[in-house]
Amino acid sequence: MTMLKIENLHAEIDGKPILKGLSLTVNAGEIHAIMGPNGAGKSTLGYVLGGRPGYEVTEGSVSFDGQDLLDLEPHERAAAGLFLGFQYPVEIPGVSNVQFLREALNAQRATRDEKPLSGAEFLKLAREEAKKLDMDAEMLKRPVNVGFSGGEKKRNEMVQMGIVNPKFAILDETDSGLDIDALRIVGDGINRIMRAPDKAVLLITHYQRLLDYVKPDFVHVLADGRIVRSGGAELAHELEREGYAGVAA
Amino acid sequence: MIATAELPTNRDEAFRWADLAALQAARALPAESATVPDPILPDAQRLVIVDGHLVDHLSRAVDLTIERAAIASDHALGRHAGGQGHRIALAPRSVTTIEIARVNAGEDSHTPLEIALGEDAVLTLVETYTGAGWSNALTRFDLARGARVMRAVRVVDAEGFVSARDEVVIGEAASFVCVTLGAATASTRFDAALTLTGEGAFAEYGGALLTAAEQRQECAVRVRHAEPNGQSHQLWRAVAADRSTASLAAAVEVARDAQKTDGEQSLRGLLLQRTATVNLKPELEIFADDVKCAHGATVGELDARALFYMQSRGIAKPRAQALLTRAFVADALDRIADETVREAFVADADAWLERAL
Repeated sequence: MTMLKIENLHAEIDGKPILKGLSLTVNAGEIHAIMGPNGAGKSTLGYVLGGRPGYEVTEGSVSFDGQDLLDLEPHERAAAGLFLGFQYPVEIPGVSNVQFLREALNAQRATRDEKPLSGAEFLKLAREEAKKLDMDAEMLKRPVNVGFSGGEKKRNEMVQMGIVNPKFAILDETDSGLDIDALRIVGDGINRIMRAPDKAVLLITHYQRLLDYVKPDFVHVLADGRIVRSGGAELAHELEREGYAGVAA
Repeated sequence: MIATAELPTNRDEAFRWADLAALQAARALPAESATVPDPILPDAQRLVIVDGHLVDHLSRAVDLTIERAAIASDHALGRHAGGQGHRIALAPRSVTTIEIARVNAGEDSHTPLEIALGEDAVLTLVETYTGAGWSNALTRFDLARGARVMRAVRVVDAEGFVSARDEVVIGEAASFVCVTLGAATASTRFDAALTLTGEGAFAEYGGALLTAAEQRQECAVRVRHAEPNGQSHQLWRAVAADRSTASLAAAVEVARDAQKTDGEQSLRGLLLQRTATVNLKPELEIFADDVKCAHGATVGELDARALFYMQSRGIAKPRAQALLTRAFVADALDRIADETVREAFVADADAWLERAL
């Protein structure tokens, strides 16, 4: 079953074209990795799919679960089951993780006509997810990402993903800033939360190393706003060996 | 009736941001019946002041000594509230909680009040302004050695103009903490002069001004350190929506003898729309040479990255804006020590945010 279908997507920031005719189909049960050099448009793809203001789609279409994704507000995309893991998770002073995530989860549930979780129900869920990702439950009480190390922020992204339990995750360089142990924990988290026949993942990454933990079904090379090559997991190894210049040429 | 000529104008430096037109318009509002707000602390002693007059049958002051007294000020607005007023004397080591409702039905009302605390006396004070017209208060506090005041002032359900002048004398090792919330449609002017006259005195004077539509709210606070080892904090947050203006002027004055003074000012403004205005005026006048005075003043908008981050997790934009704004305001309201009072003030701020966003 097709979950995400991107066709001939063109997008620009401040009038500067970044995506130049990108097409990609992701089916349920699949994990796709998008790799590519700096400036290829990887993060832009994530933000366009997430609906970040300032990223203007000039041509093409994106359907998600049969809906026109580009027609939805960012929070409606989340409620539809899309999760965007940030390369640089944002610090929010004065708003605790618990408050933020409970608001987020219950807002999504409300949009889907589901009953909200009580404070106690939510806290139980949040504690379980934090434990699975080896994050101190005390950190849930702290303001969102404030004073967190780079690795803790990425881990917190995965805790959030575990709590909202999305259908489709776009993870933008979730591996950057992680040491080897944290990389394994985060990799295990992605597999545990997202490896399912009715879910799918788009992993945006620079390096092969996360793919040792999260085995992709497909690897795509993004260069200058288009997918220039696609293949299986072996393509990531080829990239690692020969560099983008060799493979994408 | 006070003649217009007796009121300050925007040509006076101290009143250049003041909404004096709103003051005049407020005076022209016809008097209507005004409702007395429900108390936040039902068990506290209660003073209900309607149109500047203490209403005995609505008040409950079982163990308060209230006497008539002449109260004067030379402040441009406060002086109009001077004259025969009430004086509350709190005995040494007494512990008192008072809630004051200041209700104005319209036109002008002027309320002089003086509260004197004996040594080590403790006062928790909550004041609520409601109604219409021009509500003008002059409140004097005199804190003897070791006395403590924890005061929270809010303007809610009020239209017209509210001006409040505080004159506070803080004795040795005494502590005065005041948090003010402006969350009504009334334009406001909070004026204060605090003098730390004893060694090791502590003063905290701040709050949150939330403005919308064409409203203007402002504070003008001057803290004067006269003796050594004093500490003062002025933490103000202003949130301005639509075409409104919030202005924060806060001054710290450290006298030559007031060595080891620790003064801190944090003035921050948040613009919800670019048509709104926040004016900040931090001022330091230091004549001692061994002091620590920190000050920060910033104006900005909500963090667009934080907004998108919250939206991408499923929170709709207006709610994300409200959460971020609430967090901004919380800095100031967190300074209210009493949990019940703090929660009531936070609820007032939330209600304002619901309307503004």
